[in-house]
Amino acid sequence: MKDMLKITLSLVVIFIAAGLIMGVTYKYTSPVRFAAEKKEKEEALKEMAPDATDPIKPAGKWTNHSKPYEYYAATSSGRPVAYIASTAGKGYSSYIQMLVSLDIDLKIKDIKVLHHAETPGLGDQVEDRALFLDQFKGKGLSQLVLVKSETKENIQAISGATISSRAVTNGVKDAVQTLVDKYGAGLRTAAREVTK
Amino acid sequence: MTNTNYGTIFKNGIFGENPVFRLALSLCPAVAVTSGVKNGFLMGVAVLFVMTMVNATVSLIRNFINPKVRIPSYMFIIATWVTVTDQVMAATQRAVYKDMGLYIMLIVAFAIVLSRAEMFASRNKLLPSIVDGASMGLGFLLALVLLGIFREFLGKGSLWGHQILVVDGKAVKPLLIMILPTGGFFAMGFMMGFLNWIDRKFFGGTGSGGGAH
Repeated sequence: MKDMLKITLSLVVIFIAAGLIMGVTYKYTSPVRFAAEKKEKEEALKEMAPDATDPIKPAGKWTNHSKPYEYYAATSSGRPVAYIASTAGKGYSSYIQMLVSLDIDLKIKDIKVLHHAETPGLGDQVEDRALFLDQFKGKGLSQLVLVKSETKENIQAISGATISSRAVTNGVKDAVQTLVDKYGAGLRTAAREVTK
Repeated sequence: MTNTNYGTIFKNGIFGENPVFRLALSLCPAVAVTSGVKNGFLMGVAVLFVMTMVNATVSLIRNFINPKVRIPSYMFIIATWVTVTDQVMAATQRAVYKDMGLYIMLIVAFAIVLSRAEMFASRNKLLPSIVDGASMGLGFLLALVLLGIFREFLGKGSLWGHQILVVDGKAVKPLLIMILPTGGFFAMGFMMGFLNWIDRKFFGGTGSGGGAH
């Protein structure tokens, strides 16, 4: 009985001390961490729409792979210059997290891979701008089809990394679809008015 | 241990009982993170820090820890230091944390950290324990860097992310398999075999045994 109490006491003291140390560390590091994370997110968004002068704020939420993502309308003195959406595609060994920005004609302006855990040397090539990501630029929703042969019209998969390439293409496509559904109507009306 | 020989402890950690190549402990992370030199180095530094701190703490309170519940106590000390490392790194070293964040929390389950707390720190005074933790950590770091160099050079033709093998302006990747997990096992086997061969040939040792993740 006495032994049991001693054991319990010894463990409880260690646990409480450890809890205190972790709590104090969290108290002092978490504000710095959250501020840094927020700043990084803002900088990434800014990179996606460099010509936007107003701060980029979330315009709404959408769901992909049962996870919440956000979309943004980047404006310059109140006028929209770009639409941005965060998105993800299911790759070989991870969800590839991305930011996609469209110009006001709803053509792809830029793509940024934020995070992934694809195979080094194979799947991680989807981050390569010259090899893969640059071919998305200027493409519209209907062109976002992955093909395995050489193409100018569609998206060409990286050989040896088809699954990761498909993940990026599908993630981007979902994001573009969302933005087109959201902002495309306004665009079509505007175009119709001009042709009238 | 009446006469503490720090030189012996140090050599033991790096060569004699090198955590990866001789004790064959913590092989999971050693294979997982060494697809590049940089990852291996960063992981090694994190482990070096955690091991030193854990050994110091265990040694300091070794008379207070009840022997019947020593393992939960060690686990909690390890978890505390890993959490502290994780939080401090997340706040101050953003660029490094982006690459490392996934791995740091894994240190909690590293067999090598627990084994040094149990085998050494719980039986020795503060200073020898710190030296042991640091040497073992350094041995682990060296092993990861060696594996990283071997794998990254053969797999990607680069070192620390810098392309070294270039032919006609194009990057050469000689053996892609080396940076895949399969290659990790190959590299580990070759290295361990090579070191055992050296040990037998020149120092009359018997090679390493055992193994755990």
